[in-house]
Amino acid sequence: MPSSMVGQTPSLTGFLKSLKQNDIENSIELFISLLKRRQIKNSRPCAIATTHLLLRVVAEPKRKWDAQKLIARVRNVGRRLIAAQPREMAVGNIVRRVLGVIREVAERDEDPLTDSEFSGSASPITEEFQRPALPTRFSEFSPLHGAAAMPHNMHSGRPGTADSVSMDLGGTPQRPALLSTNASYAGQGPPGTSLFSILQHPQGRSPVATPPPGTQSPVTGPSPSRRAIGGEIPEKLDIKAEVIDGIKELQDELDVVDNQIAESALDHIHSNEIILTHTSSQTVQKFLLTAARKRKFTLFHAEAYPNNHEATHVTILNGAQGEDDSDERWKPLTSLGITVILIPDSAVFAPMSRINKVILAPHAVLANGSLLAAAGASTIALAAKTHHVPVVVLSGVYKLSPVYPFDTDELIEYGDPSKVVPFEEAEFTDKVDIVNPLYDWVDCDLVDLYITNLGGHAPSYLYRIVADHYRVEDIDLNAKLDAVAKKG
Amino acid sequence: MAEQGGTAEQSKTVEEPKVSAVELKKRAKADKQARRAAQKEQEGAPAEVPPATNGAHQEPSAQGQGVQQDQKGKAAQAKGQQQPKPSKQGGQDVRPERGGPSQPQSIPPRSKAAPAAPSKELPKRDNSVVELLSHLYPIQRRPNLAGVSKDVHPAVLALGLQISTYEICGSSARCVAMLLAFKEAIQAYTTPRDTSLPRHLVSHHLSPQIDCLRSCRPLAESMGNAIRWLKKLIVELDPDKPEHEAKDFICEEIDRFVHERITVTDQAIAASARNQIRTGSVVLTYAKSAIVEKTILQAHEQGTRFRLIVVDSRPLFEGKRLATSLMRAGLEVQYVPFSGLAHVVKDATLVLLGAHSMLSNGRLQSRVGTASIALQAHKADVPVIVCCESVKFSGKVALDSIVLNEIAPPEELLLSPIPEKSPIHPAGVATTAVTGKSAVTVTSAAISKDASEDDEPAKLKTLHEWSSISNLRLLNPMYDITPAEYIRMVICEYGSVPPSSVPVVHRLANEGM
Repeated sequence: MPSSMVGQTPSLTGFLKSLKQNDIENSIELFISLLKRRQIKNSRPCAIATTHLLLRVVAEPKRKWDAQKLIARVRNVGRRLIAAQPREMAVGNIVRRVLGVIREVAERDEDPLTDSEFSGSASPITEEFQRPALPTRFSEFSPLHGAAAMPHNMHSGRPGTADSVSMDLGGTPQRPALLSTNASYAGQGPPGTSLFSILQHPQGRSPVATPPPGTQSPVTGPSPSRRAIGGEIPEKLDIKAEVIDGIKELQDELDVVDNQIAESALDHIHSNEIILTHTSSQTVQKFLLTAARKRKFTLFHAEAYPNNHEATHVTILNGAQGEDDSDERWKPLTSLGITVILIPDSAVFAPMSRINKVILAPHAVLANGSLLAAAGASTIALAAKTHHVPVVVLSGVYKLSPVYPFDTDELIEYGDPSKVVPFEEAEFTDKVDIVNPLYDWVDCDLVDLYITNLGGHAPSYLYRIVADHYRVEDIDLNAKLDAVAKKG
Repeated sequence: MAEQGGTAEQSKTVEEPKVSAVELKKRAKADKQARRAAQKEQEGAPAEVPPATNGAHQEPSAQGQGVQQDQKGKAAQAKGQQQPKPSKQGGQDVRPERGGPSQPQSIPPRSKAAPAAPSKELPKRDNSVVELLSHLYPIQRRPNLAGVSKDVHPAVLALGLQISTYEICGSSARCVAMLLAFKEAIQAYTTPRDTSLPRHLVSHHLSPQIDCLRSCRPLAESMGNAIRWLKKLIVELDPDKPEHEAKDFICEEIDRFVHERITVTDQAIAASARNQIRTGSVVLTYAKSAIVEKTILQAHEQGTRFRLIVVDSRPLFEGKRLATSLMRAGLEVQYVPFSGLAHVVKDATLVLLGAHSMLSNGRLQSRVGTASIALQAHKADVPVIVCCESVKFSGKVALDSIVLNEIAPPEELLLSPIPEKSPIHPAGVATTAVTGKSAVTVTSAAISKDASEDDEPAKLKTLHEWSSISNLRLLNPMYDITPAEYIRMVICEYGSVPPSSVPVVHRLANEGM
């Protein structure tokens, strides 16, 4: 058992410190127990902790990885972490992102020699996984090249060694693209129907997922199909190094996600608006702070009793919290001249006819555009819909889960009933069933806009972002990998 | 000048009873102007509050939120009684700094007293008014007895205090209690020699009682209807009837009113509504409605097996009282905070709601939060039934919850401080109950505010310091308006009607047509 945690309140910062000292198995056990005991809660701390933990797992000293073993290892660890707290979806999201990074790196490394300008994709992997070949392979000369093939071209041309290419790219830092070379979205067309694909790849290659170039995260600069055939000899080490780079990119993304979301604040808030929000989300506070510097508006803040009201009061009076657990706080909105009106949750319907905008922060976003948010959000969103008030949801991409909500009840976590009625009232708590759900599921019809660190999207677009960041084979971590793949 | 002043003063004292009301009004207005000008002087920059709400701000200064202002105003008026006459006659004593538009009655000496008061009070007042609802301020809750008119009967006074502290809460309860208190007041009344009971009772005896109750808490719709009925009854009395007979008659009629329109009506509504509860029903209700409670208890006595979901909200926690009483009656109760509404409404098969009043455009005015309940139920296809006596039906119409509403004191939203978070607020820790004890919470808030000035800068502020932050407001509305399309049926003593029939029932029951 990890001894470094004795005497401290278990929390994210304690865990991160202990990561350096403990060995990997102990760290995993520690994280699992933190998750089970809910000593680490909410999406961002869980995401940060998972990222650090997986970094340690991958960077295990004196361990040489090949792609398959690494994938299997991360899947195992990920399976355990998700089982510890299935409703903490950020954990699963990060595991799947890391798996995506690994697959990306593996595909690049295993396919360094394709010279064809039509940019060969990872055919070995295609064959291994025995996936049906997918159409839309556009030649460089086709007018659709820029729309479809370019993202693929960007990373498929990369050789095994990352370093030489990064020089060649003129200083732009080389980043492993997280685009899947296997299209991982639901709508997969029939194989081999495109004329181009028949002309280019007789054995069939899987095409690229096709997001517009500006919306990848992290973004890779367009690289011509240069093939610097670097040494494949240190391939195994490269996988580790590149995956570590990829995970560090993830960590950076988690650090700057609030700032990136806040960048679009001025585009969405005009002067003299009346905005309604809910709970003590730091993302929303920073978003509003950014807008408050240039605009004057009024904020109705619902307090989210009984689970979050104290944090909400503290945030309203003292400002959003800085780094986790630090003493520094951002300025409160009231000090920037914004009128903040605190209302109880029951009073959200009453002023709704005067509200211009509702801003929510979710716990998790699901692949169809619906979300899980703090309890009370469903009522707010419904009331907004009734009055035709736009609902804006601020969330980083790390909260976006590839899971579809087939059973929404399963996704709701229940909290402490003593927050509603304390256990001292013995007769009441004995005879009355007290229910305290922590989350509400809000349907995608009720949301008008998602603002993520990649910009603004309609709920109907989220499936594409899911496709960009996650691989189909990673969505169900309990599934067995293909027998063929296991041999590799 | 002295002679003039002397004669003027004599004429003043002679005219005092007749002119004083007008005079007082003028003085109050001049007071207002003086203070506003003084404030402008002091602060220099224009106030951030737009002129429309300046009126609202100055209104409280004129009416006086507490007693101190009344007394101060009276003292100032007594002090400056000599002054308005020369300035009225002269009219030229306008100080140049006063930038008010038309200030013929500016009173130089009073302005010295005036700025001291607003500069301390105005920042506090600025911060407690939500501008969207500024027409609903000042908040009427009389915390103490001083300043009450001498005509108010002690029973009415006691009732006023009970109402303002939510001891008596709920539209029917307040109506019945008010009528019973009026019975006592009417029995204690004697007609003066040169007038008759029907003419004198209403305007000179009943009105101060009503004003006292209104200052403790705005009147409920049922109370308004009852008062209209009572006034009509009294005015139509035969003036030749001997006084004691007339008073007995009035008291009997009041008893009959209470019996017919509230007691028996409640029975009828409960009997009708309990048929909606079938075996296996899951009934959802919100806060505490007396009529819904009766319905549920009757259905339970009938033997129907059903279960109950009670949704509750801050700050009054009325649902908890309902859940407790029903739990003790042996029902299976599930208790949920307001945030859990979306989760439990899927399990409900019936929603029973009480009403503060039904409006003539079919909308329901009820405890804040009811609209959200009806909305969620409507979305989940659960029928919403409102149980409402006809005495609560109103001729008013409303489109939103902002125009017709009541704002409760924001101090009710404060939580009892947790000891480890605020160790230096001893008075705060002593405050246990938050609901309704506005006097105590106001004192504790004041004390904790003083204590907080000694804090180290690193200490986090708690909500008790809300008034020190100028841009922070606490809003505690009491009612909201539920649109008619969310309500399936309204059960009253005339039967089960759709919400669109409310004006018909109102005409029938309250206007006698």
